[in-house]
Amino acid sequence: MAMRAFVLRHIQLPGQTLTATGSKPHPQWYLRASLRLFSSHDDHLTKEEVIDRVLDVVKSFPKVDPSKVTPDVHFQKDLGLDSLDNVEIVMGLEEEFKLEIPDKEADRIDSCNLAIEYIYNHPMAG
Amino acid sequence: MSGATTAAYLARRAAQKERVRILYRRALKDTLNWAVHRHLFYQDASDLREKFEANRHVEDLDTIDKLVAAGEATYDKWRHPDPYIVPWAPGGSKFTRNPVPPSGIEIVYDYGRENND
Repeated sequence: MAMRAFVLRHIQLPGQTLTATGSKPHPQWYLRASLRLFSSHDDHLTKEEVIDRVLDVVKSFPKVDPSKVTPDVHFQKDLGLDSLDNVEIVMGLEEEFKLEIPDKEADRIDSCNLAIEYIYNHPMAG
Repeated sequence: MSGATTAAYLARRAAQKERVRILYRRALKDTLNWAVHRHLFYQDASDLREKFEANRHVEDLDTIDKLVAAGEATYDKWRHPDPYIVPWAPGGSKFTRNPVPPSGIEIVYDYGRENND
């Protein structure tokens, strides 16, 4: 049951949402996410996108207090998570960015910093 | 008993912890392969986590080794025959589909022009 809220909360639906006061312009990167570039040439993620999405994934983890999450937070030291929780977060990141991280590398991803760097430098990060 | 916090003991514990983490990761991915529908996956993932948590406080190195070996045997038994692998990763459908051409090859675009022109 723990994974359920985790994944439900981090599914993002790009699209127009009209609020009561009229249509609200959604943040810039939503538009970019729904704009598909069919060439693989310039289609790399920008650093802010990577940071935003990684932080969203970490914040929607049920055992994490969202207000403590910053781009340099360490999963086990700062957020008080377990090593198995670490594994779960890395799996969540793999699902978010459609990556396949080898086991040895995934074991080493311990903090948001490392995660953001790894994903940003990965050529196939979606 | 083995010395409480000697380097060898700590090294062995660290190696065991790494084995456990990698086992948990593979088991979780395998669970996702079998239970594709999310609500089933959440249930199975919780059960898997319970199994790992039940043995959390074992201190004896040999027991831990046995438990990890038993866990790996269970994982091997339950491995999915057709796991989902991300397409561009080794084992996926797009792996080496369009490999980079070897260096030194030059493509000459002469569009069929013949030499007697």
